[in-house]
Amino acid sequence: MSKYALFLGCTTPIKVPQYELSARWVSKRLGIELVDIEDFVCCGFNQGNLSIEGGLLLAAMNLAFAEAQDLDIVTLCAACNGFLAETVAELKDEATRDRINKKLSLIDLEYNGRTKVKHISRVIYEDVGLDRIEKAVKRDLSKLRVAPHYGCHYLKPKSAFEGFDEPDNPKTLHHLISATGAAPIQYETLLHCCGGKTFPVSPDIAHLLIEKKLNNLQTMGIDAMIVQCQTCYLMYEGQQQKVAEKFNTQYKIPVLLYPQLLGLAMGGDPATDLGFDLNTMPLDKVLAKVEE
Amino acid sequence: MSNKIIRTAELDPNFKFEVTAHESARDLNYCFACGSCSAGCPIHEVFPDYNPRKLAKMIKLGLRKEVLSSDYIWYCATCRTCEQRCPQKVSFFNVLNVLKNIAAKEGYAPTAWVEQTKQVMQTGIVFPIEETCVKKREQLSLPSLKGEGKKAKKLIETTGLDEIESRG
Ligand code: SF4
Ligand code: SF4
Repeated sequence: MSKYALFLGCTTPIKVPQYELSARWVSKRLGIELVDIEDFVCCGFNQGNLSIEGGLLLAAMNLAFAEAQDLDIVTLCAACNGFLAETVAELKDEATRDRINKKLSLIDLEYNGRTKVKHISRVIYEDVGLDRIEKAVKRDLSKLRVAPHYGCHYLKPKSAFEGFDEPDNPKTLHHLISATGAAPIQYETLLHCCGGKTFPVSPDIAHLLIEKKLNNLQTMGIDAMIVQCQTCYLMYEGQQQKVAEKFNTQYKIPVLLYPQLLGLAMGGDPATDLGFDLNTMPLDKVLAKVEE
Repeated sequence: MSNKIIRTAELDPNFKFEVTAHESARDLNYCFACGSCSAGCPIHEVFPDYNPRKLAKMIKLGLRKEVLSSDYIWYCATCRTCEQRCPQKVSFFNVLNVLKNIAAKEGYAPTAWVEQTKQVMQTGIVFPIEETCVKKREQLSLPSLKGEGKKAKKLIETTGLDEIESRG
């Protein structure tokens, strides 16, 4: 049994609750206990744009809240994962930690380097393991051909992840998908970024990025894309029709969060357990290929 | 980042020291302009005018105002591919954050990022917590959100981040 503080981040609980719903559902059934800490705030990554110190303080504040309960953190968002893990590494430096702790004492907090950070997919990969996932499968997903999309901050900065997977040639999401019975593909634009952090400043440039990947995937005959970050989800699914109109083409590529796919394999109810009806793209074609 | 003629009077030779004085941008001193960062950059791929190597050169040349007032520094997708690819272990991603921090202090910050900070000081996250969202979460039996930004605000106020104004 593993136990973590669940770090929801800003966007998932507000805009993509199906990610949270399905992550909680699979975690419960795979022996991952999730503890809610209602004091958690924004991870600080975006604030770093305007103030590196401001971003670092918010990240440290979150680490300190989890540490006060003797818990490690599990994140759903790839960017929260990358930034919080990077902060753990940065705060190994004593002088930096002292400087930050002086400020954290203003709100009666302290971080001493005990709390670590992992992404939910990594926790499933390492704590549950591929064998146990395979044993938990109740539905046949073998007719599904899907495209994994890792999310940049799942494995970067590389120095913060102690050799877990390889950002230039990642494999873990492929393995996690295979364990559900679905078939993950390799494709040219696998490593492309979703553009989620460019979008607020230049939607046009973000759309160019999204179009590259959708265009590549269009020719690959896939049933869905599998993502592990709500921002990647919002970019590839939420922006898909806008991109299609803009580039005068048609895209109908469903996008699922990994825990939705895993939960489907494990026999969860697509609507009530996994939030399939909250995805904007209809998923009936995906469901039609799945055998009870 | 136009190709206009550079007048030496517009150059600030101290700019590169100003940037590399920040710990996370210090390694820029080792940049030898190989262009691996640009070759791996997804934004450069779809919008070639955006060019990390060129930005690195502009910093060295001292084109301070041109760099800081440019929209381009805000286009970075933060994918960190540049730092993965750099043979000199420069994190151009970090260099950009330093540039954005300096630009923000001088009034060039885009509204989107400034608004996010204001929101964090209120609800603790970058969004307001609206009634429809509260209801949806109840329906799904998900725990309610606290929506409290006071502690975050206290920390933010120690950095001057709360005083940054957008370029409007
Ligand atoms: S990859 Fe590194 S050394 Fe090469 S131009 Fe970019 S920053 Fe400079
Ligand atoms: S982090 Fe920014 S500059 Fe670096 S490769 Fe990604 S988009 Fe380009």
